[in-house]
Amino acid sequence: MQNVLSILFCLSLFYLAVTSRVKAYVSVLRFQGILLTVLLVFPFINHFSVYAFILPATLFVVKVILIPRYINKIILDLDIKRMIEPSIQPFTFQLLVIFSMIVIFVASNILSKSTSIETIPFASGFSAIAVGIFVIIFRKKLIIHVAGFLVLENGIFLFGTAVASELPMMIEIGTLLDVFVVVFLMGIAMNKISSTLSGFDVTALGRLKD
Amino acid sequence: MNLFFFALAIQILPTIIIGFLPDNRKASVVTHFLLVAGLILGFSSSFNALVFSNTTQHNISIFGIPNSLFRFDALALYFLCIIQLVAIPISIYSYSYFKYYIERGKSVRSTLVFYTLLLVSTQLLVSANHSIVFLIFWEVMSISAYLGMIFEKEKKEVQTGSFYYFVMNHIVVYLLFVFFFLLHHQTKSWLFSDFHISPEAGKIFIISYALSLIAFGMKAGFMPFHFWLPRAHPIAPTVFSAFLSGIIIKTGIYGILRTFQFLNPTPEWLGWLVLAVSMISAIFGVWYALAQHDIKKLLAYHSVENIGIIGIGIGIGFIGSAYHSLPIQVLGFGGALLHTLNHAIFKSLLFIGSGVISQNLGTRNIELMGGLVHRGKYFVMLFLIGSIAISGIPPLNGFISEFIIYNGFFVTAKELKNYYPLVMLISAVGLAFVGGLAVACFTKINSIMFLGSERKEVKHFNISFYEYVSLGILAFLCVVIGFYPQPFIGIVNKVLNNGFVPVSSSSALLSINWFYISLIFGIIFLGVLFVYFWKRAIQNKYGRRTSAAWGCGYENVNPRMQYTASSFADELNEISKSVLVYHKNIKPSKKIFPAEASFESHSEDLVDNKFVLNGFRNFSSMISKIEFLSHTDIRYYISFILIILTIYGLIAFLWN
Repeated sequence: MQNVLSILFCLSLFYLAVTSRVKAYVSVLRFQGILLTVLLVFPFINHFSVYAFILPATLFVVKVILIPRYINKIILDLDIKRMIEPSIQPFTFQLLVIFSMIVIFVASNILSKSTSIETIPFASGFSAIAVGIFVIIFRKKLIIHVAGFLVLENGIFLFGTAVASELPMMIEIGTLLDVFVVVFLMGIAMNKISSTLSGFDVTALGRLKD
Repeated sequence: MNLFFFALAIQILPTIIIGFLPDNRKASVVTHFLLVAGLILGFSSSFNALVFSNTTQHNISIFGIPNSLFRFDALALYFLCIIQLVAIPISIYSYSYFKYYIERGKSVRSTLVFYTLLLVSTQLLVSANHSIVFLIFWEVMSISAYLGMIFEKEKKEVQTGSFYYFVMNHIVVYLLFVFFFLLHHQTKSWLFSDFHISPEAGKIFIISYALSLIAFGMKAGFMPFHFWLPRAHPIAPTVFSAFLSGIIIKTGIYGILRTFQFLNPTPEWLGWLVLAVSMISAIFGVWYALAQHDIKKLLAYHSVENIGIIGIGIGIGFIGSAYHSLPIQVLGFGGALLHTLNHAIFKSLLFIGSGVISQNLGTRNIELMGGLVHRGKYFVMLFLIGSIAISGIPPLNGFISEFIIYNGFFVTAKELKNYYPLVMLISAVGLAFVGGLAVACFTKINSIMFLGSERKEVKHFNISFYEYVSLGILAFLCVVIGFYPQPFIGIVNKVLNNGFVPVSSSSALLSINWFYISLIFGIIFLGVLFVYFWKRAIQNKYGRRTSAAWGCGYENVNPRMQYTASSFADELNEISKSVLVYHKNIKPSKKIFPAEASFESHSEDLVDNKFVLNGFRNFSSMISKIEFLSHTDIRYYISFILIILTIYGLIAFLWN
């Protein structure tokens, strides 16, 4: 089951690579949030305890409800254009993602022989980190950068479940809070910037240099 | 030690209260009242524990909670006492110092918060038992000192000076991290009470010592690493520079002494190294001081000198440890410990005095002062007490600690035959030379600043009650330790016996007959009194003739004809021209009739100039070669991160 969910997660990454609508990014984020929640709930389905559900519940509230809603609100409030502005062609981007995923999957398969990791979740998490960084590098729009950052963070989360014995739950909750605060701050910053800079293009941020 | 933590709670209270007090004046009153009250309470508790309890506490409980994060052994308590004792007068002075700025409409609330944090963190630092706790408070102390230092941040020199301090602190903290991790690696514990490495550990022992000596030595200001002191001290607000010079650099000494507790016995060469470095610090510190015109910079160089003297004591102690000789260790470390206390007292006295002068006159340049004795007789007297004490001449406290160190030299020469007597003789002469130069330096500043006539018009020179109180307390301590050293020697001896020098012994410190010293001091004092009253008697009999200062047969004497500070020090500076980087710029008038002529002299720091500034200049030109990578777009940087991460990942992968 864990592997199936991880594969679904990877597919969502492919969708992210080809889509050119801002809305789609938000729905992918929401979808990934749901996947992660299910992934976390799944091991506890047989022996139920309240304590074990704290993390999935927080995750659900933050990743599926609060953050997507907040991003949607920013898009509406600031009247951001609905198309992303890529700096390379979607096809090239797709190739890049596929290539890096192949490398990561092969590498994790080799790694799994010497260490105790779950190959597929581990590799999917790693791919998400890579794709998140690619999104930040190859997209100009500021709000897409936020989305890229969140994808990266989702990757870290998945990564965490793959090496669960290493990461205590408190740290996961900590990161979750961190992410929420970061997104919140970014929203405030964008609101403030909007009066000075139009277009929400990172290239415009260069003008802020002193 | 509940009382101690209660006192700390009182001291930390102002940081919260200031948030609710928008009025600067009220905030200042409340803060200083609470600080002084907390400090007095804290001092009484730690002094009580140091003097009256016989056991060193290892596992303490704070309000009932058992705790191993803090430990109050004799060394910690001794430093706590120094900090609290000296912080009381500094805090009293601080009220009057900040009042000056409040009256001029400058906001001081944030600086008060930093001052409070600085006080509290320094006290917690020396009582920490856990390495990480130590590092945290070390960092809080350094950063709050930095933030306080930039009180007048609009000035260019403040920006550069505080930046020096900031960079120095970062280097120190990194080195300390490595140092404590090494100790942890070796002993599998984070607690000071568990740290112990013997020389058999080989490389680790030497590396740890090197790290500790560089890091703590940098903080203390030993010679090659002293470059931050003359930059940072003059620009800090007087309260902070007094605290910095009196106490914070002593945390470096504390660190070195703690390191000795962790890592002993020391090899002999280390003792030589410390002795040599300290000797250089002492001699050149005072020599540099002689060439300065800025009073606070001069005092900063004197800190280097006195840290050198403390270091000489520690060096002697290290040599004693190498030979397992108790008397040598006791005298070396005892001298160092007592000089730490003494220096904290008289250096704060002098810094506060210089702050009072520069606040009244609006300048720190000695060449523009003069004739102040006619403005504040008692103030000059208090400043003079500090000057005599720091020069290490009888009958004040500076002499007592230097006397112990001299004794250390002689006992070392006697105990360890071989080539030791010769080297110790040279060291003793060196220390005497330092004392001589210090006398010259303080003769210079006292005569130029206080005697003669006013070089620059003094509009007002008023010294507030609080300033007199704080100076008075410090001067009183100087006199007490000088004339009646027995109880203080007893305390130092107790610190040494409790877990410092391995075996408790009937100490070499106590075997010096301190009563005779008190007696001789008393005779000197009575002699001075006698001469004074004799002079009065003669004056009353024959009357007193007055004329203009330096008016040796001239008509129309004006203040510019007076002897200046640079002419006073010129002879001595000429000798050491190459080390001091001492420049003179003379334009004599070559015509028969007087025409325009000029003279100026200034000295730069060799280390600062040749190594630090040049080094950073070279580094920045090296860095500028990869400037083409710099870009305004954040996406480039993220790509760089990705590339580097990929490379690291590949390396890690292939390594497997």
